[in-house]
Amino acid sequence: MLEIKNLHASIDNTKILNGLDLSVNAGEVHAIMGPNGSGKSTLASVIAGREDYDVTDGEINFQGNELSDIGPDERAREGIFLAFQYPVEIPGVSTTNFMKTAVNQIRESKGEKPLDAVEFLKLMKEKMKLVNIKQELLSRSINEGFSGGEKKRNEIFQMAMLNPKLSILDETDSGLDIDALKIVSKGVNALKSKENATVVVTHYQRLLEYIVPDFVHVLMDGKIVKSGDKNLALELEEKGYDWIKVKN
Amino acid sequence: MIDTVDLRKSISIEDDNIIKDIKSKSIDKLKLSYKKYKEEYKYTPLLRNIEKKFGSFNSSKNIKKVDSYKDLISTNDKYYIVTLNGTFIENLSKIPNGIDIKNLKDLSKNEQNIFIHSYSKIDDSIDDIFSSINSILHSNCLTFRIKKSTILKEKISIINIVDSSKPTYFRKCFIIDKNSEVSFSEEFINITKDGNFSNSVNEIYMDENAVLNYFSTQNINKNYHYNSINVFQKRNSTSNFHTYSFSGSIIRNNLNIKLLDKSCFANMYGFYAIKNGSHIDNHTSVDHLDENSISNEHYKGIVDNGSNGVFNGKIFVRQKAQKTNAFQSNNNILLSDNAKVNTKPQLEIWADDVKCSHGCTVGQLDDDALFYLMSRGISRKDAISLLLSAFSTDITEKIEDKEIREEYQLMILKELEGLNYE
Repeated sequence: MLEIKNLHASIDNTKILNGLDLSVNAGEVHAIMGPNGSGKSTLASVIAGREDYDVTDGEINFQGNELSDIGPDERAREGIFLAFQYPVEIPGVSTTNFMKTAVNQIRESKGEKPLDAVEFLKLMKEKMKLVNIKQELLSRSINEGFSGGEKKRNEIFQMAMLNPKLSILDETDSGLDIDALKIVSKGVNALKSKENATVVVTHYQRLLEYIVPDFVHVLMDGKIVKSGDKNLALELEEKGYDWIKVKN
Repeated sequence: MIDTVDLRKSISIEDDNIIKDIKSKSIDKLKLSYKKYKEEYKYTPLLRNIEKKFGSFNSSKNIKKVDSYKDLISTNDKYYIVTLNGTFIENLSKIPNGIDIKNLKDLSKNEQNIFIHSYSKIDDSIDDIFSSINSILHSNCLTFRIKKSTILKEKISIINIVDSSKPTYFRKCFIIDKNSEVSFSEEFINITKDGNFSNSVNEIYMDENAVLNYFSTQNINKNYHYNSINVFQKRNSTSNFHTYSFSGSIIRNNLNIKLLDKSCFANMYGFYAIKNGSHIDNHTSVDHLDENSISNEHYKGIVDNGSNGVFNGKIFVRQKAQKTNAFQSNNNILLSDNAKVNTKPQLEIWADDVKCSHGCTVGQLDDDALFYLMSRGISRKDAISLLLSAFSTDITEKIEDKEIREEYQLMILKELEGLNYE
């Protein structure tokens, strides 16, 4: 589904990714772990198409399409979803209105008929249950005045609404207490299927107790230095990232 | 200096002696206002443009046939007032009960006396040369008398048609009697796409407990427009001004409110989306002369490539005006390196027990927000529209009436589509 080869990316002439390779297939959960500043969030943003980053070399293929010339809006329509580490507050736009625009633009791009108000409300109600989010919150300005937990639940709610093929969760556990973490993980697990894939970016092993990965990759200095199964995460938790540095 | 010989000549043909006398005094005001022009029009070269384009300030004396304008009158409002080049067209208008609308010259002596206390007394002729010129050159002042305790829920449209190769002058004087409540919207429709100049001065006297809602919309392509609205408020009165500007070669808006009495309430809200090289200048002042009044002012705007915005807001709090609350703010988004805004908030306070704030911001579209919206599949164009219309909601949500609010929100959405973002 996702095939990244020799990816180099920089921002303001600072190199962040240095030849990264990653392959993700449908039905899989991948965890990307690594210390602060290793390039985890950059990788997430580059896959989603953030224009502030320059891809200087390498390629990202998604379902056979090279993504380099495709904007973030079209990537989302192809089925890529990024759950933000720091969801943006947007005064004056309600989440409901935002989601209605997004869902219908994605539908139209696939040649499907847009949802009318009743159909949309039905879909929304169903997905709200999944992450335990109240309609009152969704009729407010996007993320404005939301607590940390509410912001992350709103991200997973949006993910549920858009039903992506590839979900990238960027530090979704940061700022969450244990109850919120459970709700968010439950939502992510409920959305998992054989047709879609999940990439979880985190620097703690904690989240992986709830969202169990098939593969764990360690990212350091802009490339993946070690891959393994879920036991690698446990080993990392025990020995720290220095263990890998020393080994290399 | 402006040639006053020509202007005096136009006064000499005035047949009503009282009006002739008032107009003659305006010549003296012209000398005062001319001295202030340089400072007051620092960023807005209106005088130079008008002189270059028309050579003279005099308006045309040709009377146009009015029937051909009938089709131009499109409004959802039940009541409307139509003027053509400053002349009231009664047979194209529909006037509600409780309001008298007549030319000043057609009023009885008694009625005229009531207006003489306001006419050319409330305006800013001393400060602004275009108001001085209007005071001298307008041919007919249209008077609006809203009688005591008249509550009119329906908004009344004032539709001003501009069709002349020479400058045109519009003059209106409103008296809103005690306990009355009324709403107006005013717009200028130019017959040609470019080259017209309309100069409009309104004087509004609000008696005790009166409530006024006033909407101005300006979308005049490559024409020039000067608009001066001047308000005197008596005790417990409330004014709500909503000014929406979109296009014009140069538009200058003056909105001057004097809170003469205790417990007055003045709200001034404005939104501009300036495009196609337009230049829009909002000059406002609110003058607190007595205790316990509140004024709120919030103007927001978006300026695109090659367009100019100017905002100048003054708050005066006189020594007697203790317990005043006065707030002012102006926020701008520039859509290009070639968009320009000059904004200047001013505060002058002589009283000591007051609460005042003022501030302005000039920024760009938030890239993080844009990426967030696009990352959910929303096209760049629609994401920008969403953000820009969200920027306008602080202003439109101040419109209390739901129907009117939705009408203006829709208008803004349409206008935002025409903006160029780089």
